[in-house]
Amino acid sequence: MDKIMRGRIKELIARHPKVGDALAEFGVACVTCAVGTCLLKDILEIHHLSPEDEQRMLTRIAEIVYPNRQVVIPLRKSQPEQKTGKLINSPPLLKLVAEHAMIKRVLARIPDMLRKLDLDTVEGRQLALASVDFIRSFADKYHHAKEEDILFKCFDGNLDIIKVMLDDHETGRAHVRAIREAVERRDTVAAVKHLKGYQKLLMEHIRKEDEVLYPWMDRQLSVTQIGRLFSEFAAADAPLAETRRRSEEFISMLEQRFGDAEPGQSR
Amino acid sequence: MKEHAHNCPGSMMMDRRKDSDAAEAGTGKVRSQLQQWPIQLHLIGPTAPYYQGADVLLVADCVAYALGGFHPEYLKGKSIAIACPKLDEGQDVYVEKIKAWIDDAKINTLTVMIMEVPCCMGLSAIAERALAAASRKVPVKRIVVGLDGEIRKEEWL
Repeated sequence: MDKIMRGRIKELIARHPKVGDALAEFGVACVTCAVGTCLLKDILEIHHLSPEDEQRMLTRIAEIVYPNRQVVIPLRKSQPEQKTGKLINSPPLLKLVAEHAMIKRVLARIPDMLRKLDLDTVEGRQLALASVDFIRSFADKYHHAKEEDILFKCFDGNLDIIKVMLDDHETGRAHVRAIREAVERRDTVAAVKHLKGYQKLLMEHIRKEDEVLYPWMDRQLSVTQIGRLFSEFAAADAPLAETRRRSEEFISMLEQRFGDAEPGQSR
Repeated sequence: MKEHAHNCPGSMMMDRRKDSDAAEAGTGKVRSQLQQWPIQLHLIGPTAPYYQGADVLLVADCVAYALGGFHPEYLKGKSIAIACPKLDEGQDVYVEKIKAWIDDAKINTLTVMIMEVPCCMGLSAIAERALAAASRKVPVKRIVVGLDGEIRKEEWL
C-alpha cells in the first residue's frame, strides 16, 4: 500500500481505471484533472476527508489494485480540526472567494451572451472586448495576481496542486489572447469557441480552489501568515480601486442585459 | 464532574477533581513563553515595542488556567494582554487601547481567547467595538475555551 500512496495518481488511474471511480465517490475529481501528477498521500492530505471516509476510500482502492490480497490500510496521523464549521474561514481567503463569486456572475451569463454574439456588428465587437477587458483586468490582474504574487508564495511552488492552478491560469490567458485575435478578425466562430473554453475552464478552476485548494491552505496557514496576507492583499487592491468599480459596473450591465443566470450557474 | 445549581453559569460551582486526576499530566518543567511585562490591559502601553506589528493575544483572565497547553500552543511568539469583562472596571479604556493596537502599533492580528461562559463574550464584544472604531482593519480571531480545557470554537470574525 505504501507504494500506491507514494505513486502518481494519474498513472495509478491509467493502470486501474476503477480507481478514478473510487476517488470520485468521495468527491476527489482526479480523473478530470489535466495534470494528475499528485501523489495519493498528498491527495489525502489536501482533500481532508474524515478518517472514516479516508479508510473506506483506501480500502476500495486496495481492493481494486490488489483484488486477491489482504492489505493493511495505514492509519494517518489526523490533522488538527478547525472548529469553525466552515470550509474556509480566514479573512484573506474569504476575500478571494468573494472575488470568485463576482467572476462566476460573468461566467454564468456567457452562454446567453454567446447565443446573440455577432462580431460583424460594432455592438457585438464591443461586448466581446468588454468581456476580454473584465477577464484581463479583474479575473487576471486583480484576482489571479494576488494568488500568484502573494498567496502561492506562502507554499512550496513545486506542489502539484499549485502547478495545476498556475497551469489553469496560463490556459485561461491563451483563451483570452485567442478571443482578442478572433475579435480583430471578426471571426465569431473562433470567439465563441474560446469564450466557451474559458468559461468551462474557469468554472472548474474556481470549484477546485473553493472546495479543495483554499480549505487546505486555510488549514496550513499560521495566524501570522493570515495577518500578512490580509495586509498584502489590501496593499495590492488599493491602487486598483477603479478596476474594481469598472468590473462591478460591467457585471451589472451584463446582468441587466442577459437576465438571471441559468440553473446550476449560481451567483 | 459535579455541578451545583446557580443562577450565573460564569460562577456556577463545578467540582472536576476526578476528571483532572484522570487526565494525563505533563511531566518536566514547561518553559514560559511570556516575552513582556506588564500584561494586564489597564497596565499595558498599547504602543510598547513588543506590540508593534505583532500577533496579539487578548485573553480572558481564566483562560490560561483552564487551557493546559496555553504557553507552548498559544502564547509562543505572541504578545499578550489579559482582562476580565465581568469584573474589570473602566472598560471604555480597553476599547481605546485595543484601537491603539490596531491604528498605532499596527498589529498584524488580534486573537481573542475567552471562556465558554456567557459573560466572557463581553471581551470579544470590546474587541469588535475597537475594530469598528479603528481606521485600519486587521484579522480578528476568537477562540472559545471550555471549562474542561478543550477548545470549543475557533473562528475568524
